[in-house]
Parts: sequence; C-alpha cells; structure tokens
Amino acid sequence: MSEQKFERGTNLSIFVSDRREDLGSLVFALLIAIGIVLVVGK
Amino acid sequence: MIYTKKSPALLIIGLAMLLWGWLNANGSLDDVQKSLQRSAYSDHMKVKEKFDAEFRVAAEIATAEKKPAPDMKMPKSKFDEAKDFQSQMCYIFGGIAGVLGLLIMVWTPREGNADYYLSIFPGMAYMLLIALIVRWGLDPTFANWGRDAQPALGWNFATIFNLNYVVLGIVIGIVIVNVFKIPAWAANGVRTARFFLKTGVILLGALYSATELAQLGLISVAMIGVFVLGSIGLVLYMGRRMNTGNSMTAVLSAGVGVCGVSAAVAAAPVVNAKAAEIAYTIGTILVWGVGCMFLFPTIGHLLGMGPVQFGAWAGTGILNSAQVAGAALAFDPNGIETLKVAEIFNITRVLFLPIVVLWLATWYVKHEVGAEKVDLGKVLFAKFPVFVLGFILMFLLSTLGAFTPAGHYQGKYFSAEQIKEDKLLKGKETRAIEGELARLKEPAGAKALQDHFKEKAINIGQRHATPEDAYKGLAELIANKKVSTREQETLLAAVGKMKGLDAVAASAIDKASKAAYHNSKTIGAFRDWLAWLFSIGLIGLGMQITMAALKQAGGTPLIIGGVVGTVKAVGSLIVVLLFIKEFI
Repeated sequence: MSEQKFERGTNLSIFVSDRREDLGSLVFALLIAIGIVLVVGK
Repeated sequence: MIYTKKSPALLIIGLAMLLWGWLNANGSLDDVQKSLQRSAYSDHMKVKEKFDAEFRVAAEIATAEKKPAPDMKMPKSKFDEAKDFQSQMCYIFGGIAGVLGLLIMVWTPREGNADYYLSIFPGMAYMLLIALIVRWGLDPTFANWGRDAQPALGWNFATIFNLNYVVLGIVIGIVIVNVFKIPAWAANGVRTARFFLKTGVILLGALYSATELAQLGLISVAMIGVFVLGSIGLVLYMGRRMNTGNSMTAVLSAGVGVCGVSAAVAAAPVVNAKAAEIAYTIGTILVWGVGCMFLFPTIGHLLGMGPVQFGAWAGTGILNSAQVAGAALAFDPNGIETLKVAEIFNITRVLFLPIVVLWLATWYVKHEVGAEKVDLGKVLFAKFPVFVLGFILMFLLSTLGAFTPAGHYQGKYFSAEQIKEDKLLKGKETRAIEGELARLKEPAGAKALQDHFKEKAINIGQRHATPEDAYKGLAELIANKKVSTREQETLLAAVGKMKGLDAVAASAIDKASKAAYHNSKTIGAFRDWLAWLFSIGLIGLGMQITMAALKQAGGTPLIIGGVVGTVKAVGSLIVVLLFIKEFI
C-alpha cells in the first residue's frame, strides 16, 4: 500500500499529470518574469 | 519506494561548478575564454585601449598639477560581464548542488516527499552541467570554426547546419543515452526536461509584441494563416495515408506548419509524442531549411522579386527561423528590409500556435479514441495545455508594455526621447549632411534618390517615398541632431545606404538611426532565460531518444516533411507573386 502511495510521476515527467506539469511551468515562468522585472527593471 | 540514490555525483558536479567559477573569477581561464569568446574579447581590448588613453591623459594632468595619481577604474567590457556571469552562475548553482550533494551523502532517505523531491536534483544538475559545457564551450567553438572556414568554403557551415546549442544539446543527449546510458542517480531528474521546455515556451511569448505585427495587413495575415493551417492539414492527411503513428504525425504537422523547435515542443505533450518523434520533426525541419537557404535566394533573383516579396516568401515558405534569416540575408546582404519582412512573417506563424495546439488536441483524441466517443468541449477542457495559455498571457503582457515599452519588436524599440546627449550629431556631421542635402536637391541627385527608393522599395505609409520626403527628413535631422520619428528613421536609413554618398554624412546618418533604437535589457534577460531553459530541456529530451525509438519512427516523417515543405514553398511563391506587391 505504501509503495503504491509513493509511486508517482509519469514516464516523461515528475508530475502525476500534464495539467500539473503545465501549472508548475506557468508558476515557474511567472516567477522568472517577476524576478526579471524586479531585478532588471522595465 | 525510495527514489534518492546514494551517490557522490551531485557533490562532484557542485564542486566542479565551483571550481570553474573560481578559476574564471581569478583569471586562470582567461586564455581559454579569449579563444572562445572572440567578439567579446575584441570589445574588451577596445574598452581597455580607450581606458589606458584616458588614464594617461589624467595622469599627465595630475603630474603637471602636482596632484596624486588619479583613482580610475576600467569600465566593464562585454568580456568581463560574460566572465562575471559565468562565475556567479557557477557559485550559485555549484553551491546549491554541493549542499544538496552532501545531504544525499549523509542522509538516509525514507519514503515521502523529501525523498522524491531530493531525488530530482542530481539529474537536474547533470543536465545543467552539460548545458554549461554546450553553451559556454561547444556553441562558441562551432561558431568560431564556422567563421574560420567561411573564406575557404564560401559559406558558414555552423550557421547553415544550425550547429548551435539547440542541435548540439539534443545530439549530446542522444549520445549519452545510447553510448553511456543515463546513470541511475540522474534518472528521476532527467524527467524534468519537459517541464523546462514548457516554461521556455511560455517565456517565448514575452519576446513579441502585437504592434509590429499590425503593420502586416489582413492579406498577409490571411496568407500566413492559410499556409500554416493548410500545411498542418496536409501533413495530417499524409500521415494517416502513410500509416505514421498519430503522435508522430501530429507533432510533425506542428513543426512543419508553424516553425521549428518551439512548435514541436508545444504540440508534443498534447499528442503524447515521444522524444524521438520530436527529434525527427526537428531533423526534418532543419534538413529542409538548409536546402531552402540555398535555393530560395537564387529563385528570388531569377524571378526578379522585390525585397518585400522575397521577405514574405522566405518567412512563409522556409520552416526554421534561423534559416529564414539566412535566406533573407543571402538574398539582400546589405538591406534590412528583406530581413525585417521575412522575420515578421516568420514570427506571425508562431502566434498561430494556440490555434494549432487546439486543433491537434482535438484531432489526436478523435483518432485515438474514435470519433463517436468524443465530446469536443470535454476534450478541450481536459487536453488544452495551460502552458500555451501562459504563452498567450506573456504575449499580451509584452504587447501592453509590461516588460518594455509597448511596440517593441523582439526587445528592440524606437524612442527619440531616450537618445543620450553623446549620441546627438556633432557639428562636423551635420555640416556633411548639409552638403549632401544641397547635392541631392540638384536634378542628378534627385533622380539618384528616386531610383534608390524605388529599387529598395522604401515606402511611407502606403505610398512610395519621394526625394521631397528625404529633403524634409534630412533638414529635420540637421535641426534636431537626431531622428524624431520611426518613419523618418526608415527613410533616412535608406538615404544613408545610397551609393556615392559622402562617407562622413553616411556614417552620421547611420549613427543617428542606430541611436534611436534601444535594446531592452528586460527582453534580453527573457531571451537568456529562454535559451537556458531550452538548452537544459533539449539535453534532457535527447537523453530520452534511444536508437530503437529512432528506428521505430522510420524514414516516413522525412518524406512527408519534404513533400509538404515543397507544396508550401511553391504555393507561397505563387501567392506572393500574385498578391504581395511592394506594400505589406
């Protein structure tokens, strides 16, 4: 049972679904964008 | 299940990065860097020469006035900045890798989140290390070899065969997985490759702005749309007829229809494409693009096409961005008009990406599950990739001016207000332009000007530029010592390229033109991030491509790509000749 619980990710991804991977990359991209605007300026 | 493998690999990668950062910072690697970064080093020598001269003068003045020697510091050159960047990056990521590497060595993992997420880092560091080697070592080395061989070959093989970090990254990934295998400690982290690629596609939207595209006009946008969607339809049809797998057909159609790597990457997750299928698509596009780069300019000259016509054709008919630029420059090495039109047409294709992804998602599910079982609304909701919405969001933010002044084009924007005092024209330069203005007002000068505008297809709005426009522009340039509007800049840049123009006047006009364009540092930073994300992602992608997978995909994609590419090139040539005149 515990093995089942910790068997995760897909073959091509560490995320359990494409949607989660998409959301993760969207959050990451937004963090990069905010970081660039804050550090480099406009 | 325990994911983290006890191995010193991450610690060693961290220490290697720290060592490179340290050696780079203390100058021990300067000789290596000089040979790799030739253009940055040449900038460094110019900055140094200028500084030495200024220092000598300041020292002489100080000696004469019996003051202490001046305390001056040499400004940073591009070479210094590149070295600093490398050191900082190595310190940050080497430090993180070192600490996590130590943790892996001393910690006994137990099932849970901590184990799962810790297990990702060695593989990520492995991809990053290879990305550093590719971007800082192999990419500039191939670029240098390409330039060195150019006089003998007559063409730059590194540019033409796209031997940059994109291709090199995938190839190295393929070599690693097939020759050495992916080490067990890196296996989980390598699966983050697609995540990095998706993040890269989202950031891609930030590079573009709708303002520049608004210049295109309805006919051009419709033409691009027809060719993008038409070639996708044709690939999908041929793929079904030739029994290529659904995912292979779909990802190939995105690559052939839109353009290059980004489209293949964006469409891949939607259609469950395998890494080998993306590699085949990229390979097909590159092989086709190389052929087009040689053929298009020759055909363009044979048919007597104008710069706008050729730009529109290259931007629609050639599949890969780098080769679009190559063909435009080969057609018209001195003019920017062809290149600009080609790039705008090329980039407009990228903006069809969301529609294409939507189409392919629906197509794929219909053919995989069976048409009768598909509820379109459900499919769209379940399959439409959120990261493509992220691409649209970034594009909108960029268009609205969230990152850099609205109206920019790949980070370049026009602003007469931001021209610095030292970039204004000097007395000697305005006098030279005055002399040329008087000469151009004479009948022979006016005729030469008119012919030049006609040959280069220079337009003001929807009409041809006239000598009177040039006189007005030159007079305003003399009065203001800078260009005032974008229209004026286009006109004056064309005047500056006229044959027989006085060298001082030509260089002054060129200086004034360049001074009005500014490169956005913000968009530059986006581009850097994009390159790193794509680099890491493509290396990871390459690591998922085994020889068995390549054999399985077979040679059919190349045939389909070749046929559709030819149809697209010939079709767009006919449409361009019929409908695209000198205006866009």
